[in-house]
Amino acid sequence: MLRQWIAKPAKTAALVSLVAVTVFTGCSSSGKTPEAESGKETESGSVTVKVFKSHMGVGTIPDRNNDHVKYVEEKTGVVYELVTTPPGSEPTEFLNLMIASDDLPDILRPIGGIEQTLIKQGGALPLDDLLPQYAPNVWKNIPQEAWDIVRSASPDGHIYYVPKVFLVPERAPMIRQDWLDKVGLEMPKTIEEYKEVLRAFRDKDPNGNGQPDELPTTGREFGKWMDHLFGMYGVAMWEGVPEWDIYDGQIQYAGVTKNMKAAIAFIRELYEEKLLDNETFLNKGDVWMAKINNNQVGSWYHLPANLRDRVTAMQKTAPDAYVAGMPMPAVEGFEGFVTQKSMGEPEWLIPAAAKDKAEASLKLLDFFYNKENDEFVRWGIEGQQHEVVDGKKVLLPPEDSRPIALGMRNLTTKEDMDNRIKETIPEGMQKMVQDIFAVSTADARRIAGDGMPATVYEGFPDIQSHKLFQEYLTKIVIGEWPLEKFDEFVDKWNKAGGETVTKRVQEWYAKVQK
Amino acid sequence: MKQTNGEKTFQLFNYVFLFAAAATMLLPLLQLLAVSLSSPVAADSKRVFLLPVEFTTASWTHILGNEGLWTAFGITVYITVAGTLVSMLFSVLTAYPLAHKEFLLRKPVMLGIVITMIFNAPMIPFFLTVRELGMMNSLWSLILPGAIGTFNMIIIRTFFMGLPKELDDSAKIDGCSDFGILFRIYLPLSKPVLATVSLFYAVGYWNTFQRAVLFIRDPEKWPLQTKLRAYLTSPEELAAVNLVLGDYDFNTTTLKAATILFATIPIILVYPYLQKYFVKGSMLGSLKE
Amino acid sequence: MADTLDQLSKGTTPASVRIPKAKENLYLANMRKHWMLYIMILPGIIYYLVFKYVPLAGSAIAFQDFQIMKGMMSSPWVGLDNFKFIFTYQDFYLVLRNTATIALYHLVFGFPAPIILALLFNEVRLMLAKRVVQSLFYLPHFLSWVVVGGIVFELLASEGAFNMIRGWLGMEPILFMQEQRYFRSIVVISAIWKDVGWGTIIYLAAIAGINPNLYEAAVMDGANRWKQTLHITLPTMFPTILVLFLLNIGNFLELGFDQIYNLLTPMTYSVGDIIETYVYRAGVLQGQYSVTTAIGLFQSVIGFALLWIFNRMARKSEQGLW
Repeated sequence: MLRQWIAKPAKTAALVSLVAVTVFTGCSSSGKTPEAESGKETESGSVTVKVFKSHMGVGTIPDRNNDHVKYVEEKTGVVYELVTTPPGSEPTEFLNLMIASDDLPDILRPIGGIEQTLIKQGGALPLDDLLPQYAPNVWKNIPQEAWDIVRSASPDGHIYYVPKVFLVPERAPMIRQDWLDKVGLEMPKTIEEYKEVLRAFRDKDPNGNGQPDELPTTGREFGKWMDHLFGMYGVAMWEGVPEWDIYDGQIQYAGVTKNMKAAIAFIRELYEEKLLDNETFLNKGDVWMAKINNNQVGSWYHLPANLRDRVTAMQKTAPDAYVAGMPMPAVEGFEGFVTQKSMGEPEWLIPAAAKDKAEASLKLLDFFYNKENDEFVRWGIEGQQHEVVDGKKVLLPPEDSRPIALGMRNLTTKEDMDNRIKETIPEGMQKMVQDIFAVSTADARRIAGDGMPATVYEGFPDIQSHKLFQEYLTKIVIGEWPLEKFDEFVDKWNKAGGETVTKRVQEWYAKVQK
Repeated sequence: MKQTNGEKTFQLFNYVFLFAAAATMLLPLLQLLAVSLSSPVAADSKRVFLLPVEFTTASWTHILGNEGLWTAFGITVYITVAGTLVSMLFSVLTAYPLAHKEFLLRKPVMLGIVITMIFNAPMIPFFLTVRELGMMNSLWSLILPGAIGTFNMIIIRTFFMGLPKELDDSAKIDGCSDFGILFRIYLPLSKPVLATVSLFYAVGYWNTFQRAVLFIRDPEKWPLQTKLRAYLTSPEELAAVNLVLGDYDFNTTTLKAATILFATIPIILVYPYLQKYFVKGSMLGSLKE
Repeated sequence: MADTLDQLSKGTTPASVRIPKAKENLYLANMRKHWMLYIMILPGIIYYLVFKYVPLAGSAIAFQDFQIMKGMMSSPWVGLDNFKFIFTYQDFYLVLRNTATIALYHLVFGFPAPIILALLFNEVRLMLAKRVVQSLFYLPHFLSWVVVGGIVFELLASEGAFNMIRGWLGMEPILFMQEQRYFRSIVVISAIWKDVGWGTIIYLAAIAGINPNLYEAAVMDGANRWKQTLHITLPTMFPTILVLFLLNIGNFLELGFDQIYNLLTPMTYSVGDIIETYVYRAGVLQGQYSVTTAIGLFQSVIGFALLWIFNRMARKSEQGLW
């Protein structure tokens, strides 16, 4: 390649002029780059709506002639045009670029707090009146409470977005029932019993491989996915991140409460006794998963809906492997619970610039929230989203060559969850997963800070990223720092902006309470 | 040539050290290969070291049987070849005057160029500039905005500056113009550095990802790295939503391993081919003292 | 042609190069004589103006409260507020110190590594062995830091290779990744491992340019390999080394986000939290474009000052970048 072009200067010279021409023509065409796709009506009289949704995964973007698109058009008179982020891009950044270049879609799923940017800078359309009119199903299927939270998140009390609603807890403390049976212990009811169980897991070789390789309980880097250990002490915790809940009669950051201090003291003990995986804070997701798969872990916290692959792996070497949901062990003086966040996260927003299309956008959205369309929303088109095997519909795995189908409904009820279990979990495991959900649902409680807008953190990235908390948590637990350091943390946190943030959160909460 | 004892010891040590270190650099790729050829369960349980466990080629058939990926592969090859050519041309043209004292603006222009290396433009203005040039969704947006790698250009310039001045003089006497000197004398003499810099450019273009994310909206035009990212960044915690019932002999872990290899092996193979340009003395071989 | 030049001297080149009247004739004469050089550099100049300087003007948002809906034209100007925000950030000095320390380590250990390796390669006589070893050394460059980070964590885990060796020697395992004192060494060593082979390529190209006659003459004079290296190989590499050093120093405070982010844990924040990780928290999490641009400017100014100083020193030996 190289030699060739060195040997042929004539060719390269030709290339120079070509490049130069390209550069100049590139310049001269500036300013008139029409991307006029939107705004036009299709020949059938339908309106085209650009829908932005990130993280669509593998698959092609459906075109105008796609069956899914056509079906929706037939029902709603709206042709959807899916716009998504390229894989691996930063969706927030992508949206910001869209805003910066005046290229916003007609309806979008905000991400990374972008909805607040739009609301604050006047770029979001208030939906209070439009929703009941054009999207009655959205309006009535989403609980009133969720709309109230959405109102509280904007400075002027308007509804600027349709919230995500998740009415069942997604996460649960889990324990190896077969291990309990093997060490001859009952499901622990109190924290003392839980500790006993963990000790038995550590000492009695429940995985039967003759090696002391059991990790009674474990978590992940940054203290993620060990919420059960905090939850026992009534700490509102979401994947290792302290949340906002009522303590001492007012809403506070769970990270600085006495509950948190007690929880950290307990976790520190577990770590010292090697009841908590000593590599917890070094476990990347794949390592953590491998430990569970390899029958090394007795008790952990995760999504029961993801259990299928874990259990399949476990059963390779432990055919009896069985996972049960663990009710939060009781701790005296504390009220344990499984943290549930159900509503308020922004799901759909209409830019003010796309006002003319708002009606169509909402009609489209309403289609997905209409219970009559449940079947279609869930299964899509045969041959594209599902296939029929033995008279039963089975979803097809996403594949690069198959078009993605737009889904806009993000309202998960108990019924939806049951359906999902039936669709994605093999029959032999369905009961196990349902039981785990039942246990965690009984312990679950929605926290006061559910739906709080991220704007409360503005100007304090270290408070928002929980960096300070993570540093103190990990260092105290591994024994590098004494427990007393926790008080220093509380102090530092407040000074670093926590105080201001707390005040903002309390103001927000007062608004919600009204 | 005779070797002293000290030199022999050094040689021995050198071989042992280099081969031992080189082995550590091969292992990760071998492991990725083994993982890509193992069953999902074995891979997720970290039971795979250097040999596949529960051998299966499912991940590879899934990837290689994917037409869209081959389109992306073609686009990447195209921008790599075209981009490297464009970049080399721009770079030698820029480097040549900057390597000559006769070019009086040499210093200010160099300073102006070095400044752009240290001060990076913020992303939004950069994006808007390229957009204003009408390059959105064009493969040129993956090539022209990075046509000159300042680092690479300066490397070429340094090399040009090292060439004997007498070359220019004698060529001028023969009636060569500056273009003639550059293409007939400088370039043939600079093979090692041109090979190096071409490699740098080619690897850069091969790995094009960020620019594609910014400028290419049409998935049909995504280069390989962008396309493959879909497999590398599957949001694990959201998997529950995407899960589909069924047994497959691959999963995200094994696909990840296979895609990493698929995306790197072709470009890795370029290097051994270029190595011949690094043979000692290849440059001045044609030069008479 | 003249237009472009005119434009050049007015708009885009720094003040130091404004052409004094008396010299004007000299420049015109020079241009007339060497007009081809000016033509040649034209595409390059256009490239830098269009793709570098035009967007660079956008750095002005560092002095604004940039609001993305409004764009640069109508966002309010706030003077140095964003810089004040950075300098009053409670951990700013910690972050800056960490960055500078790691950068210094990279310079002291990471910079010479490929030079030494290239010299070692040069001593390998067997052509085949040389090619194989070189090809293997440059493989890790193609692995992303996510992958390499994963490897580092696994090697240093309690069951990992290092602790296995400690076990054979009867020593207690150490969880290296959660101990502050190992963090910086791990960063430097892993960076060398990943990129040293890649880094040698450029030096190998320089070595390839050495006239073999020089070595023959040296052997006749009785010089051994060591002396040949010292008196022939190294001096030939020197201009390349110097240029790479200068280019490095200009980006002194830019360590690269990916590596640190993939090696950092909360237990090592106090030694490993660097400017880029802070920018990530402030920029990506909070979308503060003005603040992150201000931080970028700060890094660049420091880098430019360092480059200026070192370039002055280099100019004494006629080897400066400009």
